[in-house]
Amino acid sequence: MSSSRRSRQASSSSRINDDQITELISKLRQSIPEIRQNRRSNTVSASKVLQETCNYIRNLNKEADDLSDRLSQLLETIDPNSPQAAVIRSLINE
Amino acid sequence: MNHHHHFVPDFETDDDYVNANTNSSSSNLPRKPIIGEEEDGDLMELLWHNGQVVLQNQRPNTKKQPLSSSAAVKLHNGAPPPPLDHNLFIQEDEMSSWLHYPLGSNDFCSDLFFPAARPPVPSSVRPPEPSSMRPPAPSPVRPPAPSSVKPPVRNFMNFSRLRGDFTGRNGRGESGPSIAKSTVRESAKVNPSATPASSAAREPDLTRRTDGADSRGAGDLGSKSAVDGGGAYTVGHNRKGKAVVTTERTSENLGASSSVASKSEIEPLETIVDERKRKEREEVGSTECRNEEAKQGRGSSSTKRSRAAEVHNLSERKRRDRINERMKALQELIPRCNKSDKASMLDEAIEYMKSLQLQIQMMSMGCGMMPMMYTSMQQYMPHMAMGMGMGVEMGMNRPTPPPPPPFMPFPNMLASQRPLPPQTRMGGYPAVQASDPSRVYGPNQQFDPNSSQAQFSGYMDPFQQFRSLHPSQPPQFQNQAASYPSSSRVSSSKESEDHGNQTTS
Repeated sequence: MSSSRRSRQASSSSRINDDQITELISKLRQSIPEIRQNRRSNTVSASKVLQETCNYIRNLNKEADDLSDRLSQLLETIDPNSPQAAVIRSLINE
Repeated sequence: MNHHHHFVPDFETDDDYVNANTNSSSSNLPRKPIIGEEEDGDLMELLWHNGQVVLQNQRPNTKKQPLSSSAAVKLHNGAPPPPLDHNLFIQEDEMSSWLHYPLGSNDFCSDLFFPAARPPVPSSVRPPEPSSMRPPAPSPVRPPAPSSVKPPVRNFMNFSRLRGDFTGRNGRGESGPSIAKSTVRESAKVNPSATPASSAAREPDLTRRTDGADSRGAGDLGSKSAVDGGGAYTVGHNRKGKAVVTTERTSENLGASSSVASKSEIEPLETIVDERKRKEREEVGSTECRNEEAKQGRGSSSTKRSRAAEVHNLSERKRRDRINERMKALQELIPRCNKSDKASMLDEAIEYMKSLQLQIQMMSMGCGMMPMMYTSMQQYMPHMAMGMGMGVEMGMNRPTPPPPPPFMPFPNMLASQRPLPPQTRMGGYPAVQASDPSRVYGPNQQFDPNSSQAQFSGYMDPFQQFRSLHPSQPPQFQNQAASYPSSSRVSSSKESEDHGNQTTS
């Protein structure tokens, strides 16, 4: 966090909050396609952004789990000694 | 053996002793040594020594009792009873408990005790009004300071009904009744009103000498919303300073208003949550109330403006509560997140999300590549894999060193894969059969590099692809050649590849 030159006694907490909110918005703008598509304006409420982030992370986790399941299934179908098996194992174990 | 002198009677020991007493016939000891009451009223000192009671001191009779324990207990009558006995005394003589624990800075600390004692309650959830109807056990937390002694008679009257709640709260018992009365009165008046406004109403009652219905109603919103906006989330955050401040101010307010509390009835106590929130609100509530009082003198217009501001504060507080709820939920989602700072927690959330995205991309690529051989993929996958693999490794900080080779042999792996089933959605793709790396790479080189961009861009948004695919069943490898990421690429790359190898059977 860059330190601002504002007076710290009154706005120390608010400065942190502003930075936090900026982070929030930028992060979600980058990552979440929903917000990128649906909210073209700059009026993204922080709570909405947070909510979408939570949902997104849950979805990502679920996808990762599904994919790892599929990869493990794949692993069974191929020769376990092959290099691709090693690759798949590394992917699953991430 | 050692002589153990305990001011606190060992209950087990005493019980054993009592049991032993009953068995013995020569017991002159009190039946209830715990309480310290002496039948004779004399000072008696019992020393258990090696299981035997060797009574010393004033009593002429020496009692020797075989005891299982070697503890020694001093029983005094009239002397300051041990703290444990003190609890028993409370119910009989509340005044003594107050005398023993003078008010002071302890009350300020008690505010911190209660937040620690109670379970973490989201500040956005206001306890329902019925909670305030409980006996005022936590109310003693509020420091009434010196003014609590003003209505001593009333204190006793009220306190008698609160008897059971003050056990263990010796230090605050004195202040309890006055606070309870004031808070109770407010809560009683607040009950009919909305739940959020109810607790806020207490502050104006506390701070005001004259209670007007209008002022109280106005103060409800103002004090509550204003305070909550200011210090609703005190403990654990950087607003801790505010919590302390609120407490101090609270004490002043209460001290000033305790005299007004004469008319309050005893009402059920609010919960600890109410306590803390009330204190937080009092910080601003006090100022708000004073402002309101001043405004009332000028007219109702300023009061309306202040009410509007209070409403705004109320909505602001709600919004902040919502945001904090989401922050907590997000923190729970992130593994190994031990950051208490919001900003760092958000940083971790961002990193985690990106790493998750990359991981999913890698896995999907792995899924797509293993069973099938897309000539297009063979060319681009290694490049993308290497690039993203590096990003993945750096982003996720994998404990195991990332194997750089895995991405390289992808083409080889593809070459050695089993042949694709003839019926695939990717009809345009050449069926790369058996192990012919040269052949595999052959068609790739013919591909238009622009197509790679299209495919690459398809990879860069796996979440979108996943979302589009979610409603439908994930395609089976054997049935469909398209895996998650490849489905979008199929359409985009088909044209480019159609003019490539048309060796599909």
